[in-house]
Amino acid sequence: MTDTKNILMQEEAAAAAPLTEEAMQEERSAYQKRKKEKMRSQKVRSITGKVFIYAILAFYAVIIIFPFLIVLLTSLKTYQDATHIPFEWIPEMGFTGDNYAEVFSRYPTMTALLPSIVQGFLNTLLYVLPPTILGLFTSAISAYAFSKLRFRAKKWMYTFLLATMMIPGMIMLAPQLALYDMIGWMDTPLPLMIPGMFGAAACVFFMRQFYTGIPDSIVEAAKIDGLGFLGIFFRIIVPLSVPALLAQGLLGFIGGYNDFMGPLLYLQSSDLWTLQIALRWLASTYGKQPNVIMAACVIALLPMLVVYFICQKFFINGIVTSGMKD
Amino acid sequence: MNPEQGILLDEEALPLTGDALVEQVMEEPLLEEEIPVKPQKKKKKINKEEIWGTALASIPLIGFFIFGVIPLAMAIAMGFLDFSATQGWSFSGATWGGFENFAYVLKDKLFWQSVGNTLIFGSSTFISLILALAIAYLLSRDIKGRSIWRMIYFVPYVCSTIALTLMWKEMFNPAWGIINQMLGNTDLANGAINWTGENTPFYFMVIIMSVWSGMGYGILLYTAALTNVNQSMVEAARIDGAGPFRTFFRIILPTISPTTFYLLIMGVIGLLQAFATTFTLGGDLTARYTIVYYMYERMMAYDLGVAGASAWILTIFILIVTLIQFIGSKKWVKYD
Repeated sequence: MTDTKNILMQEEAAAAAPLTEEAMQEERSAYQKRKKEKMRSQKVRSITGKVFIYAILAFYAVIIIFPFLIVLLTSLKTYQDATHIPFEWIPEMGFTGDNYAEVFSRYPTMTALLPSIVQGFLNTLLYVLPPTILGLFTSAISAYAFSKLRFRAKKWMYTFLLATMMIPGMIMLAPQLALYDMIGWMDTPLPLMIPGMFGAAACVFFMRQFYTGIPDSIVEAAKIDGLGFLGIFFRIIVPLSVPALLAQGLLGFIGGYNDFMGPLLYLQSSDLWTLQIALRWLASTYGKQPNVIMAACVIALLPMLVVYFICQKFFINGIVTSGMKD
Repeated sequence: MNPEQGILLDEEALPLTGDALVEQVMEEPLLEEEIPVKPQKKKKKINKEEIWGTALASIPLIGFFIFGVIPLAMAIAMGFLDFSATQGWSFSGATWGGFENFAYVLKDKLFWQSVGNTLIFGSSTFISLILALAIAYLLSRDIKGRSIWRMIYFVPYVCSTIALTLMWKEMFNPAWGIINQMLGNTDLANGAINWTGENTPFYFMVIIMSVWSGMGYGILLYTAALTNVNQSMVEAARIDGAGPFRTFFRIILPTISPTTFYLLIMGVIGLLQAFATTFTLGGDLTARYTIVYYMYERMMAYDLGVAGASAWILTIFILIVTLIQFIGSKKWVKYD
């Protein structure tokens, strides 16, 4: 019984085998053919798609870079070439550095010690760096308290702090002006410097978000090792958050460097001007000479661009993480 | 009392093993002596944390109380005061004026012109939002050099508004600017577009500038949001036969809706406070007035009452717009 069954099965198998193999081969080749065709069409489609994507990205990159290129070129041209029609990529009278020399030799008053753009740059650093660094420190230490320490008022203090972010800055402009006028801070850099030293709500918010990510067990372990609350902050928390601090510091610095409204309101004397105010003054002084104005623009833009390209990784990460967190 | 002592106690409270246990059993009477001391010491430690925590956390709040609460109180009062008898920005001599300032502002044609201008300039927020999403979507595809593209697109964000405005003003110069040259007409007498001399082209110029410089931020946040889109869901939709458009509108768009919402809120608040661009462009067009520009001029004219009243109106505007956005967001923003 079993033998016959085996034989039958073998016969069946023998009969079936060549058929299936043939069919399989046929099917396989047909499948491969179809697959190849499909892949080819897909490849063609994806290549055209890719070219399309890269073309748009490149076009947009050109739109971004183009104005900067025009500014740079104009700043290196003589007045005649700068206003020449049609636009020349290579100026007729050649490139010149005269516009830069002109900007660097422009003093705001007869008695001024430094050219306005240099004085403006130094003033900007002087007004922006101390509040940025100190404000970063106070924001971070307060964020540390909000995320790692236990105290009763924590919840409502934090809610209150976040609520202050909702107040539109513009409603405060006029009363702040009156307040600083009252306490004699007008025409001094103090209104630009002192408030920032207390830290910023947005920075506290971001740093707290970051510190909540640091496990409490690290802090507990440090406590057991005998570190005080300040010790924990300086020895454990700060070293762990250097990239985040750097990102926030950069954001603060750029904001201060580019601030316009504050210096415009509070600073009148030309020796107190920031770079942005000096730039605007130069632009109105050289109203009819675009080549000189563009040179001033390049000088004002360059430091920030250098900082950006060196630190762009921190910077972009800082914005992405601080911008979106619920 | 330093924290170390409290911590030592914590260590002793840990379950002991082996030799330590034997020691503990032998020294039992000693331990009993310590028991009443323990809760007392612990309580002190918590107090210390309480003090440190409150002190450290309150630094930004102190700053806000000095430089925020006082001006805020002054701001509330300012709109209702009559400053005609005062000198400079001083409050002394100001008298109660009721709703006079508000009536003045609401009747002032220039104020309504500035409100209208601000809203027109504000359309740039929506344009740059849509374009930023489009670019970010392309960046999220399988392409090379994503970080380099992103780095280029973000450059305008770090540049000062003043420098960028001067740069664009030069390019938009009606007589020799590159834009009119590209449009092929630089002859003002012969129908060339007078970007800085007429209201309508002025609007277009400011909107183009704002979109150009505002897109980078949107692109950055959108690319981050798009990397969080669940790829298996997109794949599943594709297998179920959804085309790229349907996938985009039904799956991707809802997933990134919190980012859109955030950008909208921030964008609208920013646009209502726009000032530096049109101030730098200058000129004598009425199109240059934004709400803040209007306030600035009143402030410089020592007209604090009107400045205060318009600040009030601006704040109410911002509150209403934000409130509408928050209510509307319940329908289309999906947090999971």
